[in-house]
Amino acid sequence: MPGFLVDFSNELANAVERAGASVISVPEGGREGVSGTIWREGVAITAEHTIHGLDEVTVVLPSGETTTAPVAGRDYGTDIAVLKVSGAAAGTILTDEAQTRVGEIVLSVGRRREEGLAATYGMISAIGGPWRTEAGARIDRWLRLDLNPFPGFSGGPVVNARGEVIGMATSGPRRSAATIPASTVNRVVDQLLQRGHIARGYFGIGVQPVAFPEGAARSLGLETERGILVVMVEPGGPAANAGVLLGDIVVRIDGSAVRGAHSLQPALDSDKIGHSAVVDLVRGGKLVQLNMVVGERPQK
Amino acid sequence: MTRATTLNPEASSGISIGYSVSSVADWLRRIAVCIRGPRGTRGSGVIWRDGLVVTNAHVAVGKMHEIEFFDDRKVRGKLVARDADTDLAAIAVDAVGLATAAIRSARELRAGEMVIAVGNPWDGEGAVSAGILHRAAGKQPVIFADIRLAPGNSGGPLADAQGNVVGINCAIFRGLGCAVTSDAVQEFLSRSGVPEAA
Repeated sequence: MPGFLVDFSNELANAVERAGASVISVPEGGREGVSGTIWREGVAITAEHTIHGLDEVTVVLPSGETTTAPVAGRDYGTDIAVLKVSGAAAGTILTDEAQTRVGEIVLSVGRRREEGLAATYGMISAIGGPWRTEAGARIDRWLRLDLNPFPGFSGGPVVNARGEVIGMATSGPRRSAATIPASTVNRVVDQLLQRGHIARGYFGIGVQPVAFPEGAARSLGLETERGILVVMVEPGGPAANAGVLLGDIVVRIDGSAVRGAHSLQPALDSDKIGHSAVVDLVRGGKLVQLNMVVGERPQK
Repeated sequence: MTRATTLNPEASSGISIGYSVSSVADWLRRIAVCIRGPRGTRGSGVIWRDGLVVTNAHVAVGKMHEIEFFDDRKVRGKLVARDADTDLAAIAVDAVGLATAAIRSARELRAGEMVIAVGNPWDGEGAVSAGILHRAAGKQPVIFADIRLAPGNSGGPLADAQGNVVGINCAIFRGLGCAVTSDAVQEFLSRSGVPEAA
């Protein structure tokens, strides 16, 4: 029986070692250094929030070598920054995170400049569908971890017991460990390498949530009593071009009821740019329908 | 749904892991002791060799201690060495023929290897917890483990998957368990001149 436990123990250590071959240290990240993951040949990722305002960072490679890596792109929404790391070999094995199961053993692997490779273990505690970060970015899958996040783990990989990468670790709300799944990372890395940022949709309006009196909502045939009042229309913006006026109350976008400003997010995904959105709004007590071509949010 | 109705072959591995941990824990309980503090606090210790218990300096605060073995036998123990810097203490006990710890160098451990702790937190005598080594020891006298420890674990054993003692649990740091390495214990014992056969 003890032999069984020794095998299990060795498997875990092997998984850490295997994953460790693609884990780098980013000593300037965060307050006391964070981790990064070599994602493809010459390309690594780290947690964007930890390297705010830096155009290039020092990285420590798995070999122990130190090199400088320019930041090739960053996305605040998914918390992914892409680093160009010359000499970073691609050995990372990605898993299809759609195959992961609740209860599966996972390891969070990180690296620190002085101390080297570090890991904590736990399991997948819940799996859910797509979700949006506070910044509005779409994440393909919700992977909740029962795992102790350790200092500097952000940017490192979350791997399974075979050492295959499920996603990038970052801090979630209330000191939890959040995972950006591999498929989302792939999508974001592709875009960041192409254009340096993630294109986001844009209406050019300022809004505020409002409530209709119950009777008014019913007589207009609305699903909810809520809407969003347009308090600003940017001249020449997509909404202005579509004929949206100050004081309009948006009640539906592409047929789905608006319950607050967050309801606009699905219409603002980057794949919607250039496409037409159907907007239902209340103007002067009557329902009006407009077609609005989604623009691209200007870069700051 | 078919997954729930068919027998999952991996489930038997999970049960085996449970059995294995419990047999290692049984062994560790035999080489662990309970040390009661003056104010009702509890700590732990390891029977390092016959007649000698190693614990933390912060557990062994007085000269004489009541040492309780796994079989509820109680003996008096006398402090023979104490070093607050490494947080280690050695207590000579008046008992022979004890099961003694098998020692493994913490420097051999790889990050991710399984570790098991036994101790005496307030809500459980001989309580076991399991986790993994957080990172390799290197030259440090302390190792970090991803394991849930409680104050009563202080002085108790941290062991590998075979039950070999690799450290003495000493602290909790940012959710990680800290243990003084077995190597640092050996150095402490030879430095303080504790006789080979106490």
